[in-house]
Amino acid sequence: MATIARSTRLWDIVTYAVLGLLAAFCLGPIAWTFLTSIKVDDDIVTKDMVYIPSRITFDHYVKIWTQSDYPTLVLNSVAVTAMTVAICLVAGTIAAYSFARFNYPGRSQLMLGYLVVRMFPAVLMIIPLFIVMRSIDLLDTKIGLALAYTSFLLPLFVWMMKGFFEAAPKELESAARIDGSTRLGAMVRIVVPIARNGLVATGVFVAIAAWNEFLFALMLTTSQGARTWPVGLQLMVGEFQLPWGMLAAGGMISIVPVVVVFAVVQRVMVAGITAGAVKG
Amino acid sequence: MRFTLDRRSLLQAGGTLLAASALPRAAFAEAAKINYWHHFTSQTEFAGLDAVLKAFAAAHPEIVVTQENIPNPEFMAKVTAAVVANSRPDTSQITAERVADLTAMEALIDLSDRVESWPGKADYPADRWKGITHDGKIYGVPQFAFVDWMYYRKDWFDEAGLAAPKNYVEFLEAAKKLTDPAKGRFGFGMRGGAGGQKYIIDVLEAFGAPLVKDGNIGLDKQPAIEAIDYYAGLLTKEKVAPPSTPNDGFRQIIEGFTTGQTAMVWHHTGSIKDVSAKLKPGEQFATATMPAGPAARIARLAYAYNGLMKADHADAAWTWVSFWAEPTAALAFLDATGYFPASAKLAKHESITGNPIYAPAGETLGYGQLPPSFPGLAAWSENVALPAFQRVLIGQATAEQAVDEMIAGLEQAK
Amino acid sequence: MAWLGDLSETRYWMYLLLVPSLVLILAVVLYPTIYGMQLSFREMRLNRPALGTGFVGLKHYLRLYADPVFWTALWNTAVWATAAIVLEFLLGLVAALALNRNLPGTKILGVLILLPYFLPNVVAGHMWSLLLDPRLGVINDILVRIGILETYKAWFADPATAMAAAILVEAWHGFPFFALLLLAGLKGIPSDLYKAADIDGAGWGAQLRLITLPMLKTVIAAAVILRVIGLVNSPDLLLILTNGGPGRATQVLSLYAFQAAYKDFNFGYAAALSVVMFVLLMLFASAYIRVARVNKD
Repeated sequence: MATIARSTRLWDIVTYAVLGLLAAFCLGPIAWTFLTSIKVDDDIVTKDMVYIPSRITFDHYVKIWTQSDYPTLVLNSVAVTAMTVAICLVAGTIAAYSFARFNYPGRSQLMLGYLVVRMFPAVLMIIPLFIVMRSIDLLDTKIGLALAYTSFLLPLFVWMMKGFFEAAPKELESAARIDGSTRLGAMVRIVVPIARNGLVATGVFVAIAAWNEFLFALMLTTSQGARTWPVGLQLMVGEFQLPWGMLAAGGMISIVPVVVVFAVVQRVMVAGITAGAVKG
Repeated sequence: MRFTLDRRSLLQAGGTLLAASALPRAAFAEAAKINYWHHFTSQTEFAGLDAVLKAFAAAHPEIVVTQENIPNPEFMAKVTAAVVANSRPDTSQITAERVADLTAMEALIDLSDRVESWPGKADYPADRWKGITHDGKIYGVPQFAFVDWMYYRKDWFDEAGLAAPKNYVEFLEAAKKLTDPAKGRFGFGMRGGAGGQKYIIDVLEAFGAPLVKDGNIGLDKQPAIEAIDYYAGLLTKEKVAPPSTPNDGFRQIIEGFTTGQTAMVWHHTGSIKDVSAKLKPGEQFATATMPAGPAARIARLAYAYNGLMKADHADAAWTWVSFWAEPTAALAFLDATGYFPASAKLAKHESITGNPIYAPAGETLGYGQLPPSFPGLAAWSENVALPAFQRVLIGQATAEQAVDEMIAGLEQAK
Repeated sequence: MAWLGDLSETRYWMYLLLVPSLVLILAVVLYPTIYGMQLSFREMRLNRPALGTGFVGLKHYLRLYADPVFWTALWNTAVWATAAIVLEFLLGLVAALALNRNLPGTKILGVLILLPYFLPNVVAGHMWSLLLDPRLGVINDILVRIGILETYKAWFADPATAMAAAILVEAWHGFPFFALLLLAGLKGIPSDLYKAADIDGAGWGAQLRLITLPMLKTVIAAAVILRVIGLVNSPDLLLILTNGGPGRATQVLSLYAFQAAYKDFNFGYAAALSVVMFVLLMLFASAYIRVARVNKD
């Protein structure tokens, strides 16, 4: 008994050490970014490194918020991201379920096909995409951008969810079917809740990808329409200067909504798969 | 749009609007709407653009200008997409180095007739128009100028009893004297990273190997090797440039200069406000004309222009583009940005002539040259010349190998 | 809704499930992809309209074959993608395993560890540029103070360290992707399996090898393939950190294609480069999937 407790304790220490190191590794640069965002310019571009600034300013935040219509850009990003995630959740979940649960002719080709469409570099797709969007009058609209994002994020969503669905055991669905449920019912009522963690994780990825995307947003939107915040941020990187303070402030602002959403959503994930169903 | 958009109908529309302000919103649809693409990014530039926009709105309320700022590195990408997809802006800012490529892809509208009959033309000497003229046609109106010059640490120079160098020999000597690794000081902040290709071309020409000679594109091998030897040698042999040089772009060389790492940097008038914000002009730093090479004294005059990309609202667009030359607008812009004006009249303004810091720029205007220009030059300089030069800097190639690479690249670009 | 339930009983239900996503993808992606591919067989130099946009067959591919920059970029791409993936996977696995133990405080630590992925490439790139800056970089300062370095090092100016530094930044940015996915996957592994293994006397190494990794196989496969695609196709980070320099030490295919298209305005050549990237990714994905399937029990 004692040996087991001791080795568990040893593992606990190792775990905390590992987590601590990783957290420091991750947090360090971000903490520095935060410090940079509140430092005066003279303390950033200086010969003698300033660690803890003696004078702080929130000027950078004010400037970036009031300049180039930042609040509008952020709202645009929120809308586009929400739309993208919503579409992916609906269209992607059922597709992933199809791949995971059924075996039918053409399945592996279709699966590979989903992946293949992602493989062509965006660089070259931009101009024809621009033309397509323009011809259906969706250029410079939030929904247009969301559709563009969906097209290359869906494969990601489907492939990841497929993995999670495959990991969920089939017995429960079979039981439900025996009890008279339709396939649709089995899918919606049994499997989807079990694969909830996977859905959340995948949804988070799609959301982050849409939130941070730059190239399509730059080429397909203008400042009068659906421009998103990453474009607004890049605009500050001028030919002649890099306003470190403002760039850092912009980065910090962008991270806040993501962290908030994730913290909320994480409860669903860390709660773990409902104990009985799978492990039983 | 069925009605003609010439000046008279615009004024008529404006008059009708004023007289019938009770009319429903539909009446306001007659105001011309044009958009303007630019790559102004810094605070001072925004302030300048803002001032001009306000002045324009006051002077021409019937024209609504929508400005669209695009990050400079991605500017051509966006323009290319617009040209291919036929979704062009009405007006756009145009830098001289992009003119060759833009005219080659037929992105610009010929403005020769309008310019000829424009009263403001007299303000701009002939050389101002060279950069925007292609095949005899004029495609834009000058906006402001970037005049090459050199910043140097006056306090260090005074300490060492040196004067600003006038040629490459003096330049190297001054750099050597002011390099002191113990104090973390280097003589010259060379731009070996992004944007450094410009200076490579300048040094090549200063040694007698211009890119375009009598209309022919190519490099004279012998002087070119000497040029690369000298210029790269500043880092590899003489060690007067900091070790970070191969990746130093604009912000790095300015940061190096303003934090007291380097004694001299080459740039142009556009950065004067940024440098003055950190160092005291006249005391800690001063400006000087670019040093002369053995064969030529090269200092570039880079003009930025405004031009038209679409002819749909040509009149309104022309009004906007030529407005920049109006005294109110030009002065407001100068005040905000400190950018050297393109107009000869404004160059004599007291804020320029009264400020000794601007003196070298004024002097350079007398002999400065336009940068070379041909389609494909931008790509060659950034994707062939610069990497080749960088390999000499990091010791992976000799000057001769680099020059060979450059010449081969030029053959392709032709 | 009942009719939907009935529909789900039909023979074509599994195909119907695919329809919404297929429509979306094809509508938006198909035309641009085909356009891009056929462009690789045509001439399209935007600043040389005189050359026309006619069919030129394999001209671009031949030029590609003879182009030393292409081969350098290809090699760099392989190094870049492989090193980054391996690092990200290892770090992600370690993080996921540690987080999965669900010790008190995991929630907060979890969020902290995932933070790097929340930043866009643009911001991450610029921030690390500042951290590693040869004049303003705090990492340099710390290294000097500890005594590992004598003076500030210009990480991105030295061809020997430029790629390594870039890979470090990419790994920092991307490992939470693996961590999150693997964590979600780990949560789906029934704990009985581990209990049984404990009883059988299997150590943690064996458990990792024989239980954890095989159960995560599909999730790992999806993550790796997707991440490799992202790494190969997207020039964002390197564009900011090094722009392919110094002297092409960090030039990768995606950057090369970007430059060919938007600096050189040679869309035909850029298209050929893109097709090559596409084919390479296809080969990689099919090879990987085949290997993963062969081991399927």
